[in-house]
Amino acid sequence: MIIYGNIQEARALLGRLEYQRGNVEGALRVFDGIDLQAAIQRLQPALSDKPSRKGRIRSDSQNTVSQHAASLVLEAIYLKAKSLQNLGRLTEAANECRSVLDAVETIFQQGIPDVQVDSRLQETVSQAVELLPELWKQAGCNQEAISAYRRALLSQWNLDNDCCARIQKAFAVFLLHSGVEAGPPSLGSQIDGSFVPKNNLEEAILLLMILMRKYFLGKINWDPSVMEHLTFALSLCSKTSIVAKQLEEMMPGVYLRSDHWNALALCYSGVGENSTALNLLRKSLHKHEQPDDLMALLLAAKICSEDSHLAAEGVGYANSAISNAKGKNEHLKGVGLRMLGLCLGKQAKISSSDYERSRLQSEALKSLEAAFSYERNNLEIIFDLGVQYAEQRNLNAALRHAKQFIDATGGSLLKGWRLLALVLSAQQRFSEAEVVTDAALDETTKWEQGSMLRLKAKLKLAQSLPIDAIETYRYLLALVQAQKKSFSPDISVSQVDDDKVDEFEVWHGLANLYSKLLHWKDVELCLGKAKELKQYSAEMLHTEGVVCQGRGNMHEALSGYINALLLDPSYVPSKILIAAVLSKVASKALPVARGLLSDALRIEPTNTMAWFHLGVIHRDDGRLADAADCFQAAAMLEESDPIESFSSLL
Amino acid sequence: MSDSSSGKAQSAFQSLSSIITSIPPSQSPAFSLLHDLRIASQISTLLRQPDSGAGDNNLCRWLYDSFQSTDPDLQLVVLRFLPIIAGVYLSRVTLRKPLAGFEAVLLALYAHETTSRAGQSITINIPDLSHPSVYHESKTLTKTNATDLNLAVISPSLEPHGTVRSTRRARIVGVALELYYSKISQMPIGSKVDFCEFCEGWAGLDKDSEGCKGLTKEKLNNEGAISLPWELLQPVLRILGHCLLGPTKNKELYKAASAACRSLHARALHDINPNAILATGSLVRLGKMALDSDKETDYTEIPKTNVISL
Repeated sequence: MIIYGNIQEARALLGRLEYQRGNVEGALRVFDGIDLQAAIQRLQPALSDKPSRKGRIRSDSQNTVSQHAASLVLEAIYLKAKSLQNLGRLTEAANECRSVLDAVETIFQQGIPDVQVDSRLQETVSQAVELLPELWKQAGCNQEAISAYRRALLSQWNLDNDCCARIQKAFAVFLLHSGVEAGPPSLGSQIDGSFVPKNNLEEAILLLMILMRKYFLGKINWDPSVMEHLTFALSLCSKTSIVAKQLEEMMPGVYLRSDHWNALALCYSGVGENSTALNLLRKSLHKHEQPDDLMALLLAAKICSEDSHLAAEGVGYANSAISNAKGKNEHLKGVGLRMLGLCLGKQAKISSSDYERSRLQSEALKSLEAAFSYERNNLEIIFDLGVQYAEQRNLNAALRHAKQFIDATGGSLLKGWRLLALVLSAQQRFSEAEVVTDAALDETTKWEQGSMLRLKAKLKLAQSLPIDAIETYRYLLALVQAQKKSFSPDISVSQVDDDKVDEFEVWHGLANLYSKLLHWKDVELCLGKAKELKQYSAEMLHTEGVVCQGRGNMHEALSGYINALLLDPSYVPSKILIAAVLSKVASKALPVARGLLSDALRIEPTNTMAWFHLGVIHRDDGRLADAADCFQAAAMLEESDPIESFSSLL
Repeated sequence: MSDSSSGKAQSAFQSLSSIITSIPPSQSPAFSLLHDLRIASQISTLLRQPDSGAGDNNLCRWLYDSFQSTDPDLQLVVLRFLPIIAGVYLSRVTLRKPLAGFEAVLLALYAHETTSRAGQSITINIPDLSHPSVYHESKTLTKTNATDLNLAVISPSLEPHGTVRSTRRARIVGVALELYYSKISQMPIGSKVDFCEFCEGWAGLDKDSEGCKGLTKEKLNNEGAISLPWELLQPVLRILGHCLLGPTKNKELYKAASAACRSLHARALHDINPNAILATGSLVRLGKMALDSDKETDYTEIPKTNVISL
């Protein structure tokens, strides 16, 4: 039998009763009448006695009484805080709530022990720990909220798993979305060698990962929002590979199997691992899974549209996407058509017959035009159409779309400028193309100018201005030097790689330029520099061959070209030059040479040099009509040859 | 607030009175400039006028001067209007209109951020749970200190820019939005709602792709569509995350933010951009969950009863 000798404890009980009835104001009046601080002080010596082993047995019964009394008093303060919260007096509520925690900390200086604690006392403590940051948050005191969260998570409150998980999640959400920078936790809480998050995003991701781990270990229940917050945070950092890792650890049954695969596919595709993504999508699009899922179909089609050997498969996905874009998803029909157009265009590149190729090309155009009629503000379609027309050498249409794309993007995308310059160069309007490259250079910062400057050098050469071309390269080399100085080799550079001037390309481009001017010594010098950066590349071996050929060394030239082909079996320039050399060296080799050229034309049907050399072989073999056809094709193509292949745009 | 600071605010307040028609008298000019709805709506209207962004525009000059005053309170006022400036600017760049006034303000924000970061990139370490942290223990032995640091670049390094080159436009606006995000807890609701509404326009899709039928093509093709490279979209999504899931609950803001998230999710699907699909998809689902969270158990409550338990 416990006797409440103290009137204050009786009041605490009464207040609790009022609160439970929902009479918040009444409860507050009762609580206000208690001198809680005095009550706490009275409790202190009873509980803060160092648990000496001898005295424990004797003090046990007294301890229970004190703990009960303590729990009553602390609960009263806690309920006072709750009452104030209910009345909207949030700052006062937070201060009361904090005094609960302060009191607990003075009473239990060593932290709350796991055992021997009254369950009701523990409950009040846990509730106060959880309530305090919420109160500060509601009061709009963000910094106090952050400290309260850290106090909750970094001190020993003996919280149960669920309560701790709720606080961790709430803090992670606050860190992610409050827009208030928390700064790193104080030094006091740092343990040697342990990871200390240095900003909000790091801390939030750490907490969410810990929550995921707790779930994997079966300590807490599944909360779908944790994974969503983590996905959001990690995709902001472009680290979707880590989302994938979390998804892979997930037990089966949490997500629908096909949704799980689709999410993984998005993650892998997000970090450029498209073949893994495609394999996952093939599973989820299997006829027994969800073959009609639009997102999966579109992503699969997009991945396939980037590889001519997958393009035919992509056509299937795109067609399926188009027929499934119904109802509320009808707005995606244009996207499906665009993907269909891209896949068909890619498929056309490896088609085995002229007939097939032109059929695919015209279907590709039809799909893209249809896509454009659905989405007139999808700028990418304008660009796709421009490239498609250019590849089919419909240069006027290509020019129209290139201009339209630059207008619609306000010239913000470099690829638009490149397309326009290449189309103009194909129309042999070199000086206008140069005006375009100059305009583009005005709109870019120096580190992005590499590809544009190389284009400009080629344009200069095309206008028989080799000195100017070399001057342009000299500027490029100066840029490379400046770049080396301003970017120290830190890790972040690899992430902005595409913005930078590629030194290998510069040396190799200059080598090509000199080889056109027949300055073989200079070519070798440049190739040597390029080789330091990239030891093996088909382009470079090919250029080495060109040097040997230029010096009359046919055998070495041939081995250079063959080596290039060994590195890249579909490298067209080497195929053409091997054929050219062979046809000169031995008449017996003419059929082989012809085979190589047909192969080259299969890969690049509009290659002028290939048609020309094929013509030569026909002529030497005495098939004059065939030769004439080839020469005519070469002549026609030359009139519409861009200075760099249009496929370099994709 | 220091004397010089309130002096700057006072003179900015005064010079604004020659630009907008009615300016209510105020004891605390800096506070009024940031929070007074009448002032905000007049400035908003002016910024949305067809000729608002020109180089000789009074208001742009005022915003530029206010930001360059280096007074933190006045800088907040300028940021308050960034959603409209960025929104109107990005929707107009293709129209070949004079926009030097807007660009001056945006470049000032960009330069401020470049200086305060010393041009450095912002990176974070993605934690690896096999190493112990302040929040968890790990039984596996720590190898060497720097193992498997998984570095992510949140914002690449910054080059100084004196003019807006078109290929850098998205980055400049993106960095200005990063600055906005860093002060977002001090921004009034109205500013955030403006931002959400512009996002919807930028997505360029019909107002609500959920169950809209029979819209004509003209209506479907909202003119506001702009290209959304990651350098622009990433800060946009961070801001939207705050608007949708931040600590201040506001119905109007929630509605505007969830509409913006839905539009940008639809747009991400149109672009088939995996990163954006994941991020916006999560926001859309979290937004829906936030609606249901009111029904969740409140663990800080004690059971309501009429029975006394001792």
